[in-house]
Amino acid sequence: MTIGADRYGSRAGTLVFLGCVALSVAAMSVPDTWREPISRAIRQTILAPLLALQEETETLRSSRARLAAVTAERDSAILAAAFLPELRAENARLRGLLGLGSRLSVAYVPAEVLHEAGPTDPLTFLVSAGRKQGVRPLDTVVSPEGLVGVVASVDEQTSVVATWAHPEFRASAMAVDGSVYGIVAPRGSEGPGIWLLELQGVPYRNQVPDSTLIVSSGLGGVIPRGIPLGTVIGPGAEVEHWERTYLVRPAVHPASVTHVMILTGAPRSGASLKDLFQAEGKSP
Amino acid sequence: MRKSDRYRFWIVLIGLVLLHFSVRTRLGDDRIAPDFLLLALLMYTIRAAPGPSAAAGFVVGLLRDALTPASFGSAALAHTLVGYFSSWAKAVFFAENLFVNGCILFGGTWVRNLVVVLASGELKGSPLAWELLVWSPLQSLTTAAVGVVVLWTLGRWVSVRMGDA
Repeated sequence: MTIGADRYGSRAGTLVFLGCVALSVAAMSVPDTWREPISRAIRQTILAPLLALQEETETLRSSRARLAAVTAERDSAILAAAFLPELRAENARLRGLLGLGSRLSVAYVPAEVLHEAGPTDPLTFLVSAGRKQGVRPLDTVVSPEGLVGVVASVDEQTSVVATWAHPEFRASAMAVDGSVYGIVAPRGSEGPGIWLLELQGVPYRNQVPDSTLIVSSGLGGVIPRGIPLGTVIGPGAEVEHWERTYLVRPAVHPASVTHVMILTGAPRSGASLKDLFQAEGKSP
Repeated sequence: MRKSDRYRFWIVLIGLVLLHFSVRTRLGDDRIAPDFLLLALLMYTIRAAPGPSAAAGFVVGLLRDALTPASFGSAALAHTLVGYFSSWAKAVFFAENLFVNGCILFGGTWVRNLVVVLASGELKGSPLAWELLVWSPLQSLTTAAVGVVVLWTLGRWVSVRMGDA
């Protein structure tokens, strides 16, 4: 079954070998102008199916890689699209702040809200402006829609803002036409009512229609006059039959605020800010 | 010997050629990936007489030259030499031993690379040393390993003596 060495040493085999070597040397000596046509002819005939197979394999491999890349890009696009409404809202708020800032006649400090992931975040939150920027305790914090709260404490670079939802928040308020005065306070400290305000101490004889805009009255000298607090949505409870309370939908929800303005100076004596906010009264 | 064994041998060779153009690019660095085409040639040559082995080497080398026209002819020369002398080596050692066959596959691959590099004259100095002392031995090793696996698993299929077939 095996082939002996004597059979290997045939003259024909040696001649074939020498011939192949000679052809190889001749191929190495072929001018450059001949090499490419010869190579191309071989590639387009004998090697064509094999190169097609290699191309298909490469295509398959790159297709899998491209599929992974496209999937990653699609996921990134979906993620980006998920944040798009929030970005638009933030953009609108920033535009509103810029517009409000140009109209305000009082000194103010712009600040970014440093939200924390916690259930009490809407009651108090940090802002990125502090004593160094001229912020002082009890400064009023507003957004283009209205009152956000007041500064509770001040650090060097940050401040703590107590929002209108804080249980201890109180503000003297009035109907925008000045017909009714009262005190605005949070509706409650738990349950869904925590996100509503109450206009308290309204004399029983006074009726406040729904949709009436409630603004700060400026009494007490803490919160300037004319800052929107919210809109009346209906009567609340009657107390001892001589005063009424009204439910007020707040002008701004603390959780939706990303940038605020801290009013660091008092407005001109007697000046009301309500006209400034009314122009931006609609939520973005 | 059954006639079908001869066909099986050619099926193995064709399979190796197809693997070269389909799987090889997925096996990592091109410099160390096993050379299935050369493996097919060597499996042919260690079963065939030197003359046909030299001719087969020349054809395989010419096909490879067509893929790398810059060093046209060098692969034809290298494969001719490897085909002829591997066939002789098999006759001299005359062993149906897996280790001997593995050594022939290893040496054949390394000598092929040596001749190609020297004949083309494209590598000099440090790159030449790296090619001959690092990359070529690694490729020879992977090629020989694949060849040993093929011989071990399909030994009966590829044990056809071409001179007797």
